Amino acid sequence: MRTVFVNPERCIGCLQCEVACATEHSASHDLAQAFHEAPLPRKRVHVEAGPVSGTSYPNKCRHCDPAPCQRVCPTGAIRRDASGDLVVIDAKRCIGCAMCAVVCPFDVITFHPLADALTTEVLVAVKCDGCEARVGRGEEPACVESCKVDALVYGEINELVAAGRLRNSGAVLAAAWSTPTAAPGGDPLAGWRSFGTARASVNDAAQRAWVRHPGRDSARTGEDGTDSQAVDGAMKEKGMS
Amino acid sequence: MTTTYDGGRQLSRLTVHDDAQQMIERARDEGIETVWDRLRAQEPQCGYCQLGLSCRNCAMGPCRIDPFGEGPQKGVCGADADVIVARNLGRTIAAGSSAHSDHGRDILEVFHAMAHGETSGYQVTDEAKLRRIASELGIATDSRETNDVAIDLADELLANYGSAKGSLSFVERVPAARQKKWAELGITPRGVDRENVEMMHRTHMGVDNDYVNLLLHGLRTSLSDGWGGSMIATELSDIMFGTPTPVTSEVNLGVLATDQVNIAMHGHNPLLSDVVVAAAQDPELVELARSFGASGINVVGLCCTGNEMLMRKGVPIAGNHLMQELVLVTGALEAMVVDYQCIMPSVVDVAKCYHTRVISTSDKAKFPGATHVSFDPHRGAEIAREIVRMAVEAYPNRNRDRVRIPSAPVQMMGGFSVEAILGALGGTPQPLVDAIVAGTIRGAVAVVGCNNPKLAQDFEHIELTRKLIENDILVLVTGCAAVANGKAGQMMPAAADLAGPGLGALCRSLGIPPVLHMGSCVDNSRIMQLAAALANAVGVDIDSLPLAGAAPEWYSEKAVAIGTYVVGSGITTVLGVQPPIFGSANVVNLLAGGLDDVVGAKFAVEADPYKAALFIRRHIEQKRQAMGLTFIAPEDIRDDAMAATGTTAGG
Repeated sequence: MRTVFVNPERCIGCLQCEVACATEHSASHDLAQAFHEAPLPRKRVHVEAGPVSGTSYPNKCRHCDPAPCQRVCPTGAIRRDASGDLVVIDAKRCIGCAMCAVVCPFDVITFHPLADALTTEVLVAVKCDGCEARVGRGEEPACVESCKVDALVYGEINELVAAGRLRNSGAVLAAAWSTPTAAPGGDPLAGWRSFGTARASVNDAAQRAWVRHPGRDSARTGEDGTDSQAVDGAMKEKGMS
Repeated sequence: MTTTYDGGRQLSRLTVHDDAQQMIERARDEGIETVWDRLRAQEPQCGYCQLGLSCRNCAMGPCRIDPFGEGPQKGVCGADADVIVARNLGRTIAAGSSAHSDHGRDILEVFHAMAHGETSGYQVTDEAKLRRIASELGIATDSRETNDVAIDLADELLANYGSAKGSLSFVERVPAARQKKWAELGITPRGVDRENVEMMHRTHMGVDNDYVNLLLHGLRTSLSDGWGGSMIATELSDIMFGTPTPVTSEVNLGVLATDQVNIAMHGHNPLLSDVVVAAAQDPELVELARSFGASGINVVGLCCTGNEMLMRKGVPIAGNHLMQELVLVTGALEAMVVDYQCIMPSVVDVAKCYHTRVISTSDKAKFPGATHVSFDPHRGAEIAREIVRMAVEAYPNRNRDRVRIPSAPVQMMGGFSVEAILGALGGTPQPLVDAIVAGTIRGAVAVVGCNNPKLAQDFEHIELTRKLIENDILVLVTGCAAVANGKAGQMMPAAADLAGPGLGALCRSLGIPPVLHMGSCVDNSRIMQLAAALANAVGVDIDSLPLAGAAPEWYSEKAVAIGTYVVGSGITTVLGVQPPIFGSANVVNLLAGGLDDVVGAKFAVEADPYKAALFIRRHIEQKRQAMGLTFIAPEDIRDDAMAATGTTAGG
């Protein structure tokens, strides 16, 4: 099975995969023209910020088999392509019911007008199509081509997994067999990413200092030191979000 | 507590101030977007750019270098990570130096026109300083008319902008040992414009391809700011608007008045704010305000314009960089009058949600959606009255139900020019030198710089300053750092109780706070002057002294220029926000290490204010040891890292 494999530790958040993806799925295939098109071409890979700055993850359709989205699609708009590697959507059959998005384990199906739908008046399901046309020409998917740090790589799944495994094994063996120093080459992003970690812990400290300050109304804004999800939820209830 | 998402919505992760938290909450309620929302929307931010590894300097590019070493390692032209990072840093320094220096030029041009009698609303306020600086620069002053001296001084300083001179006039203020060091390194600043233009030249493709050579010119470019453009801005502003003397004022959003026309002066240059403060007292305009039901006209400051006004006139200050949107959310502002630098384009959008008029005044800084009143110094007083009139006429549009001023103001003291500090010490730096030698004061630290929404607003400024004064280190502040400390109540004489025994006693004997407000960001030149005066009094180079700098929450290119000239002048500086250089280990190693062997100072990066305080305390004790003074061994300086004290004041 050929697929796009993700090395999340390598993603540096440049968003070039998003731009390349939207351009690839435009009518013009040209960046300068693509964002003037109507309907706008849409990205199908979503780089989300991680828990601290300096970390991010390019999330996209994993082309599951069996694919939950395909199983729930009431109109048969979702099918496997001829290679069997890809799950693709026929926009003309899509009725925008969003059942596919409901069952998607990765939340990567979005809804937008598309040029190849029956009409551009309605929203249809949009997700990674594995760059069917490019791959058919023997090229890499657009996101992979744009990624210069190998956070996104394309190939036979087991070869890609093995490459990652060997990289990790190298580090483990270096640690096991030599004096315990840094793995060969070290992590070239460690210095940069240390700021992301520091930033988060400093802001934690600012929050703690506030919560402990005598006489403050900690209830006013949900400042009780609970995790952000809970606080966000509480604020939604209060109509603050 | 586990770390949570940096852009998280808990208010106390965004700012330590109660006034700010209330206004952010209100902005959310009203669907008004603020800087914190936009930061969150921008994340993740591009790693190439954060590492300094992207280059947009030519059309063979744009290029980027794979930091993992497997993808491209050179740009199309062949530039490697070192060259790309150094070029980018060089251009950042040039942009920051240019901003300060062009501000200085604007003041110099008005000073020149004033000397020729062509302006309205400007005059020589500090005649003694005019004559002192003129003499210093070799201009005859005896029995000459004020304007004649001013004309010669203006001509002398105008020549600093070109490249006609061998070196800048104020380089003479630098201790001889440092002048020699600069000359040996080839980094003596020659002309303000020249160094900036040369940096743009060198960073063009195919010019300076040696990262060390580029960084050395970065030092020279920044020195043309600190000892050139910024220093000219400070000195001439003092001559025209008065040299600051200690003054008590108020700070935070509580300085806005519920029953007055509120005008916020925002930006940097005192040329406009000075005449607006005068126009706000015009009896005709005050009467007009009364006719609309207001009890008067209340001018307040924001950012560095606010610092300029507070230092010289005791005008209250509403807040620093991250307060500029929130001051609008009070619904109590009739006009925000802006000139340039650090004014977010978003203020126009926020102002549209209220009756507030945004009035732009500099022809080099226009804001679509704002009303533009072109500032012309020849009609300064007249234009100032026009601006104040526009604000007064907006008062009837105020929706009283939407006015929410969130806090009572806090008192803060400002006005500590070098002249004022030396005056308090009896005319010479010797008492300060004696206190440092005796060890009652361990040293002095400049805590300066901006706000950055990546870090909880003012937390680092306040906590770092607090830790330093607790350990008998005198703190000098400018810019946003000054406002932060003012809001925290650390800038009144009573704050001597927060200081260690030595510093506290000195402050009580002189009636000064342990944290001295030295002005706006161009006024970091005052700190350079004070450092040079101390070094000259002791007879050593600046890098021998127990001093340090810190920019805990910096964001702007100007801050990079400041940090670089502070280090180039011999003062080690700690940055709280990582600069975009970590894509090149060579550049990092040079700036954070090798530079110490070259200029006697280096950079450090530390976001944690407690760890930064520890670093600075150890650095100061090492300098004391090297000078043969009493010192505390580094291992005896304990790490009280992240002991969140709860001391941060709520403003």
